Amino acid sequence: MKYKKLYFTAGCVLVLCFIGIYFTYNPTKYSFFPKCPFHYLTGLDCPGCGSQRAIHALLHANLADAIRQNLLLVLSLPILLIHFGYVLTSALKGKKYKWALLYHPLTPRIMAVIVIAFWIVRNTPYYPFKH
Amino acid sequence: MDFQQQQPFSQPPMPRPKNWLVESILVTLFCCLPLGIVGIINAASVNSRYDVGDYNGALKASEQAGKWTKIGFFGGIVVGVLYGIFVVMLGRG
Repeated sequence: MKYKKLYFTAGCVLVLCFIGIYFTYNPTKYSFFPKCPFHYLTGLDCPGCGSQRAIHALLHANLADAIRQNLLLVLSLPILLIHFGYVLTSALKGKKYKWALLYHPLTPRIMAVIVIAFWIVRNTPYYPFKH
Repeated sequence: MDFQQQQPFSQPPMPRPKNWLVESILVTLFCCLPLGIVGIINAASVNSRYDVGDYNGALKASEQAGKWTKIGFFGGIVVGVLYGIFVVMLGRG
């Protein structure tokens, strides 16, 4: 129980540090941000490419640029926020709460299809959001 | 399938194993490796196996999903840290 609190606090501090870094520095202008190995090797975008730039854009309330950088990240954001809402409530109330939608048999399948479709489509000339 | 699994109400229901879905999505978005997709596919298997009563299969899929998500997560951290060291050394050299 003691360790759990420690992990929780450390996690929160880490998240705040990352928010500070991604707010202050634009990943397109500084070279210390890690680059995607898939993009480096193939020249293609993977489903996660552009998420650092998208976070920078989101932290500056620029939704249009975030969508241009990584549509998938913007789409996943509500899911991530609701999930961590459940995690937080579980931690505070000391009782396990699970979001039933994540355990629906169709949810992960639909997500897998979306991720793979996004991966393919964003590398075609037909992808509407170019950065 | 054994006798007990066919009568789910004769014993307290087994808890649903963790499906690692959100963690897999995070790995897909931030670790740039297809390992997150392996995690998502295993998450699908956790849900569907649990729903047909294949508890052991669901548990196994949960372990697989967790394994690939962790490999993706720590792989991402290692690549990121190595890249950071590389950039700092280049900057000094």
